[in-house]
Amino acid sequence: MRILVVEDEAKVARALREGLEREKYEVVVAPTGEEGFFLVNAEEFDLVILDLMLPGRDGLQVLATLRKRGLQTPVLILTARDAIEERVRGLDSGADDYLVKPFAFPELLARVRARLRRGRVEQSPNLRLADLEMDVVTRKARRSGQNLELTAREFELLEYLLRHKEQVVSREMLARDVWKETARATPLDNVMDVHINRLRRKVDEPFERKLIHTVRGVGFVLREEE
Amino acid sequence: MRFRPRNVRSRLTLWYVLVLASLLALYAGVASLFLFLSLREDFDQNLLQDVETVEGMLTKEPNGGVSLHSSHPGAAEPRIGRLIEVWSPQGSLLYRSAELQDRTLGGPPRPDEGLRDPSPSTTRLPNGAPVRLASSVYHVEDQRVVLRVAYNEERLWRELGEFGQVLLLGFPIALFLAGFGGYALARKALAPIDSMATQAKTISAERLGDRLSIETPEDELGKLGTVFNDMLGRLQTAFDQLRRFTGDASHELRTPLTAIRSVGEVALQDQRSPAEYRDVIGSMLEEVDRLTRLSESLLALSRADAGHIQLQREDTSLVHVAREASSLVEVLAEEKRQRIDIEGNAELLVSVDRLILRQAIVNLLDNAIKYSPAESRILVRVQSEGDKQVSLDVVDQGPGVPSEHQPYVFDRFYRVDKARTREWGGTGLGLSITRWAIEAHGGGITLKSEEGRGSTFRISLPLAKYSSTSQTKGGSQ
Repeated sequence: MRILVVEDEAKVARALREGLEREKYEVVVAPTGEEGFFLVNAEEFDLVILDLMLPGRDGLQVLATLRKRGLQTPVLILTARDAIEERVRGLDSGADDYLVKPFAFPELLARVRARLRRGRVEQSPNLRLADLEMDVVTRKARRSGQNLELTAREFELLEYLLRHKEQVVSREMLARDVWKETARATPLDNVMDVHINRLRRKVDEPFERKLIHTVRGVGFVLREEE
Repeated sequence: MRFRPRNVRSRLTLWYVLVLASLLALYAGVASLFLFLSLREDFDQNLLQDVETVEGMLTKEPNGGVSLHSSHPGAAEPRIGRLIEVWSPQGSLLYRSAELQDRTLGGPPRPDEGLRDPSPSTTRLPNGAPVRLASSVYHVEDQRVVLRVAYNEERLWRELGEFGQVLLLGFPIALFLAGFGGYALARKALAPIDSMATQAKTISAERLGDRLSIETPEDELGKLGTVFNDMLGRLQTAFDQLRRFTGDASHELRTPLTAIRSVGEVALQDQRSPAEYRDVIGSMLEEVDRLTRLSESLLALSRADAGHIQLQREDTSLVHVAREASSLVEVLAEEKRQRIDIEGNAELLVSVDRLILRQAIVNLLDNAIKYSPAESRILVRVQSEGDKQVSLDVVDQGPGVPSEHQPYVFDRFYRVDKARTREWGGTGLGLSITRWAIEAHGGGITLKSEEGRGSTFRISLPLAKYSSTSQTKGGSQ
């Protein structure tokens, strides 16, 4: 899987490269719009991550030209929040998705996975991790064969974490996907903490092996090892 | 190109002079007409008297002609401008004044001439000169004659002309004086505006505390000055708020930045285990998260101020929105073993953007939960206020807000207890955003609180059928 990152800010570019390479993607960084444009014409990529604010040729122009030439590669745009109109323009000019700066890295990873997965047959996720298993049809969750008594919200939260097992899930992702809130306000953070704590009490506390982990400053992850 | 004086003073004067000139012209016209009529009346009177005089002077000549003789010395003297013709009824000319030379006053007499209306009429000599003519029938001894006496109208016109000249000479002087007076008057009337302008020029953004001096608050200019001063007052408030806001915002930014910096610097001072580094980085990321949320909130408020947020209004039960908000945060209340009770008529509808209103209520509930003691009760009460408004109260049993803080709780970054609120991760913008959300819907929010006896936040909104259907644009300050 090859990803082209067009980003002029060196620190961000480096972080993106390292983060994505750690996830076993092959990453090429282009620091300018021109270079990105050249690379995408010359080589094959599975995904382009494009910053909109670039020196010289700006991201939107690059994107529009590429789409005009019939390039089908999915493009994920990075943009600033105060440019709602820009986002719309971005999607008009052929972007597949956008992410608002400053974005959380787990969120970026989730979007990248979603983009690369699209178009293929989605294997039904195995809602199982170690001795935890969930059945979304009967809405039952069991650990080591014992039924877990979960509220509706707790079930949704655990299901989301399980579907993203071994991936860090940010608070933004939870706010949007579990709570369906567009704005992540302070009260919601506290609400999340309460729910995670309750979930821990039911899922982890009675058992030896802990599955729910907090990644400080980033989010939460469901995985086997510490 | 149209002539258009640059200042109001000259324009006023110009109009004044124009109006005066047309009035004077009208006056002159009417006066001349009356003068003319009365002059002609006198003229005709003289003419008729003269006809009688001339009759007395007619003398028959032996040759059958007629001549003029008078017992009064000088009366027979040919008067300048007096023209006489004497005709026999048969049409033969008996006498003609020398002044007429060979011109005639109308040729042979008509059969009824001089018999009827004695009043004079205007006729013209063959050379075109207008004359006033009176005819009469008279018997000189045994002969019947037709006598015509005419005055040249020149005299009449000359007198009228003299009158006109006097007027024409006077007009420019009158107009000049009036214009001058008008200009001086306008200048005096407009002088306060000049002085206001001079004072206003010295009022800059840094000196918004200055006001215009107003001598006569009652008159039009005084009112203008008062309005201007009021506007300055509002501007000053806005500037002060902006200044305080900028200061507070930079302070709010500095706090997490300081934390990030010192945590990072301290961590780099000596070798640590990977777990410790993780902890340090995590702690830094937490501060970054706070900064991110702060910038998002600021952006939301600035977009709201700029009126960029469009409300997606729909008719919604206020009680239902309150229930949604409550279900979102009720776990927080449960943690403190608090109870949130929602009372009210679910049929009270408001036309609102559901998400934005819910966020506003969530903020109020979150506040109530934070400040209320454990095991207390938080009451959300929806009730109609008259038949156009509906109110939603959030009543808590917390410590209340001291009265000196109450006017400011909706201000951006205002914190009643600075250390505590930050510890809870608040940005200090929650209530500002709430107020914006309510005001954007055409409503209002107030706080009623007594220290030690809890707080009541009251949201008032127009009922659905009374709220304006147009998209309300935001902007709270």
